[in-house]
Amino acid sequence: MADVNIAYMIIGCALVTFIPRLIPAVFVDKLNFGPGFEKFLNLIPFTALAALICPGVLTVDPNIWYIGLAGAIVAAALAWKKVPLGAIVIITVIALIILYSVIPYFGVIAALFAFI
Amino acid sequence: MIYGIKKGIPITFGYVPMGIGYAALAIKAGLNPIETVSMSFFVFAGAGQFMAVSMLAGGASLIAIVLTSFVVNFRYFIMNFVVYNKVEESNLPLNILSAHLVVDESFAIFSLLEESSIWIYIGLAGIAFLSWVFGAAIGVVLLDFLPVIVTNSFNIALYALFVAILVPSVKRSSRICIMVVITGILNYVLQFFIANWSVIAATLIGAAIGMYIVPDDDLSADNQEISSEEVI
Repeated sequence: MADVNIAYMIIGCALVTFIPRLIPAVFVDKLNFGPGFEKFLNLIPFTALAALICPGVLTVDPNIWYIGLAGAIVAAALAWKKVPLGAIVIITVIALIILYSVIPYFGVIAALFAFI
Repeated sequence: MIYGIKKGIPITFGYVPMGIGYAALAIKAGLNPIETVSMSFFVFAGAGQFMAVSMLAGGASLIAIVLTSFVVNFRYFIMNFVVYNKVEESNLPLNILSAHLVVDESFAIFSLLEESSIWIYIGLAGIAFLSWVFGAAIGVVLLDFLPVIVTNSFNIALYALFVAILVPSVKRSSRICIMVVITGILNYVLQFFIANWSVIAATLIGAAIGMYIVPDDDLSADNQEISSEEVI
């Protein structure tokens, strides 16, 4: 492990995160946007979420890439069925705990299918 | 404000488990419990904190960690621009006090709401902040009792929330769907060339492409339907 002073790290991260947050909050009135730029800003939540999901979701478990994909599919299916947000998160976490518990038996299940 | 807190409750379900997941990673990386919780309090950046403590565990230098945090968290600059553009009555002290609260989820929910009062935003974003810090605090206490499978499963909470926020809009507008898919692929490809810059680059390029392919109607219809629908 590198010899990093953790207090400095926290202070550094806090500053570089807070300053970009503060600038628009203070100067918002000084800047006027045209309708085109407003549309651009309206599109950003969608693209930001897309960029955060892909490919980050594949590294939820660095050793098993499909764990995150499985979770995303469960969450997408539930959202498609209009399940409330909070319930989607809880059900997805539970689904993954179940998936993790059955993974060790995949070999056995595959063998069973081969046998049948 | 109560209304905002209500809208923020789904975030709580995502943030408490995620905070626990972060605490697990931070402790493994060598932070003590107080450092773990105070980082959540002072930095308040979901993915950014995960990245910072993983880099610390991987032996990165202080400069690299802070610089990466800046890059990964720079999206809050754009998000706050959207937020404070949207709030009706701009009030400098309130803006300054609430500036720290912006994160992806509170931003996404607030920007899709029809209402635009600063107090609704503070309720929404404040409850997200509290659950994130609270999650980290629970994490450092509970860590010894939780099996690895459970803490690993908590890591999905963030992505489940992202997916769940996106799906209704994607379902309604095929053009938004195309833009989202293009952005995802773009980010996947770009990360090989520009590593951590790819999230910001893909977000901006994706939205620029959206300017041409997403009709204005798809966005306004979207706003109305989201706000009329009960989130919880």
